[in-house]
Amino acid sequence: MFTYIARRLLYSIPVVFVASFLLFWAVRTVFDPLAKLRGGPDPGAIARVTERLGLDRSIPEQYWRWLASFATGDWGVSSRTTGPVLRLILPALGTTLQLIVWGVLLAAVIALAVGVYSAVRQYSAGDLAFTGLSYLGIAMPPFWLGLILIQFLAAWPQELLGLTDPPLYFVGLHSPDGGGPLDYLRHLVLPVLTLTIGLVASWSRFTRATMLEALTSEYVRTARAKGVPRRRIVVRHALRTALGPFVSVTAVDAGLLFGGLVVTEQIFAIQGMGRLFLDSLLAGDVFVLVPWTLVIAVVVIVFNLLADLAYAVLDPRVRLR
Amino acid sequence: MSTRIRLGALGLMALPLLTTACTSGGAGPNPRTSPSTAVPVRQGGSIVIGAEQEPDCTDWIASCATSIWGTYIMDVPTIPRVFEPKKVDGKWAPVATNVLASEPEVAAGPPQKVTYRINPAAVWSDKKPITSADFRYTALAIRDGKDVLDRTGYSHITKVDTPDPKTAVVTFDTPYANWKHLFSGLLPQHLLDGKDRGALMKDGYSWSGGPWKIESWKKGVSVVLVPNKNYWGDKPKLDKVTFQFTADTAAAFQAFKTGQLDALYPTPQLDSIDQIKNGLPNANSVVDPESGNLEGLWFNNAKAPFDSVDFRKAVSYALDRKAIVTRLYGALGVTKPAQSVHTPLVGKYGGTDFARYTLDQAKVDSLMKGDGWAKGSGGIWEKAGKKATFTVSTMTGNKRRELTEQILQEQLRTAGFEVTIDNTSAADLFANKVPKGNFQLGLWTLVDTFPLPSLEASFSSSAIPTAKNGYAGLNMSRIDLPGLDKALNTAASSLDDSTRVEASRKADKLLADSAATLPLDVIPNVLLWNKKIGGPLAVDPARGPFWNLAQWGLAR
Repeated sequence: MFTYIARRLLYSIPVVFVASFLLFWAVRTVFDPLAKLRGGPDPGAIARVTERLGLDRSIPEQYWRWLASFATGDWGVSSRTTGPVLRLILPALGTTLQLIVWGVLLAAVIALAVGVYSAVRQYSAGDLAFTGLSYLGIAMPPFWLGLILIQFLAAWPQELLGLTDPPLYFVGLHSPDGGGPLDYLRHLVLPVLTLTIGLVASWSRFTRATMLEALTSEYVRTARAKGVPRRRIVVRHALRTALGPFVSVTAVDAGLLFGGLVVTEQIFAIQGMGRLFLDSLLAGDVFVLVPWTLVIAVVVIVFNLLADLAYAVLDPRVRLR
Repeated sequence: MSTRIRLGALGLMALPLLTTACTSGGAGPNPRTSPSTAVPVRQGGSIVIGAEQEPDCTDWIASCATSIWGTYIMDVPTIPRVFEPKKVDGKWAPVATNVLASEPEVAAGPPQKVTYRINPAAVWSDKKPITSADFRYTALAIRDGKDVLDRTGYSHITKVDTPDPKTAVVTFDTPYANWKHLFSGLLPQHLLDGKDRGALMKDGYSWSGGPWKIESWKKGVSVVLVPNKNYWGDKPKLDKVTFQFTADTAAAFQAFKTGQLDALYPTPQLDSIDQIKNGLPNANSVVDPESGNLEGLWFNNAKAPFDSVDFRKAVSYALDRKAIVTRLYGALGVTKPAQSVHTPLVGKYGGTDFARYTLDQAKVDSLMKGDGWAKGSGGIWEKAGKKATFTVSTMTGNKRRELTEQILQEQLRTAGFEVTIDNTSAADLFANKVPKGNFQLGLWTLVDTFPLPSLEASFSSSAIPTAKNGYAGLNMSRIDLPGLDKALNTAASSLDDSTRVEASRKADKLLADSAATLPLDVIPNVLLWNKKIGGPLAVDPARGPFWNLAQWGLAR
């Protein structure tokens, strides 16, 4: 197990750095960190900033300088804010983590329940209804879904009930004056729901498929022939087998979500990793984007690793070498 | 500091005016034009305002301080200024602020010298007086600093004498007409001198020389302002103002409707105009039809077909600019096209010379035929086997400009011109295409940020971007007209205002006579607030909508 983990991590290092260089090269080629200065009143500002950031050097040289600093623990300075990169990434990571933890937990519970129900009651009215809803959930783009949820769960209830505040908030994760756990909860519901609906839609379909596969497998048939009760067959045999791939998929998806919540964070004014990426990309801030990519890559690798380990724990047929 | 910039890559909309149309009782279609009236307010309370953009930093003289929202929400409320725009006889003019005890004395020289006498009551938030040392520190920090956004004007300062703590004498190496735009932000020498200014300022600062102090700046979330108790002028009515960053327009409007945000200053894009058009219950609004933002059509004067004066004129006569403005901003009650390259902020320096360019097909026909063109098959003008075809370029993603292009395309097609839309990213447009002259017709905005003329930055021949000057300079249209440089130089260097007015208007006329460019519209600005807020709300062309935040309060 330890050898497996070490080997996986070791293999990942060159991949991560090749990816970081490609991103560095792509961003420096396509985006312009001096865009905001062009057309400004003082053309001399461009030359001054070019010199300060070393933008007149070749791209490989710029990358190498950045990498040398990074290797010594210096994450560098943002060309957009001139502040330390670490002070941008860490809070954003924490914020996104909050959304993902709540969203993934909620989605996993609902998706498992829906998926198992749909598989056990294949082609029933309930299964068909959930199938339709899943396709609807998959089809709804997050920006539209977010705005619809705001309208249905915040704006209209406030209007109908004549409240001074909407029952659910949708600007940031806290009220300007702070507020306690209830305030946090009222801020959290809508962005988490926006995230959850999409995840439930795809994960429930996946659960249904893996459950159906498990329910038609030979060992389930054998269990049935032995007279094992249906509930035990579903929970002990089929679900445990289906859980392996399910955990694997959720872990991989959760890792990918760290950089993929741009739209949700934008709508709900949450400064997480997605919005940080967007802001940095638009500003051509390669000095944030590359560490950002490394962080996301590490997160994805770790989550993939966790997925493999979980698979091995849940499915005794799997052995890691 | 130059008072003119090209707005493009920033995608900012800014710098509105006090000439307002005000509606009350629900912002919606067809705003009623009337002066904004002050609603009586009480002392105390707090409000939350939506901010479309978050500033990158708060070191106001550094290269990272390019966000106009930074100016609006933290710079203006906390940094003392020596001059501010005010209406004088119905026209905007720079007027001395309460930082000064009297109007500065100007000696034409040579060398030109300006003597500032500082208000004895003017103090920083730590009660230390604002002194001539602050003037000297600010001037030299900008003139000699490494990471400085804009040295315009400061580069002409040879020295700053401080004969006493309340007198600063600034000496220039050449006549500098826009000296009133200097010190649009004084920095405290006693807190910053000899220290790393960037490190101390860029993430917010606790000191202030304005009515407000920055209590906190939570990156990505909000900025909180609280009153500066030691401010020597009118103190704020509110106990706290929070600016909440809300980048998504639709969500911001929903938050405004549901009361999570008490005020909004939305970019006049199609989506925000639609929101206003559809009605906002319990909202008041100010529509400012005369901002400092000039949207124009920029012909590449150095490239066919716009290197021909007749062709430029023909295209100008082929457009119904009033129809374009009505289509874009009619819902806000704004329908007048711009008739000068000077925005209303510097309106007294401009004329109305572009008013001649109204839709006139007969003139189009006559000009085109005179230039050797003839209508070909399909109704498109042709000359020597070539069709009158050209591209129009702007940045992708700006829906308002994309709509403008479509209207242009349609109108010009009717007049016999074939237009292709050739848009690209803001970075590509302003870093590559436009500076290198790889465009035919462009659509973007020029912004005036102070009520002093600075056309030379955009239209003098020395401002044409070339390989020699590293493609720097704002004269992207490559305008080089006989007599224009002379007029612009006079406007830029004369200390006599009437001479400046005359020279600026002459420049305006020269540009219109040759149809070197075509102003389209002055982008209006909209301020929305709910009825909880009172006070004399209005938009300032240089300092934005929160220039008088100290007078805002909760309505009685």
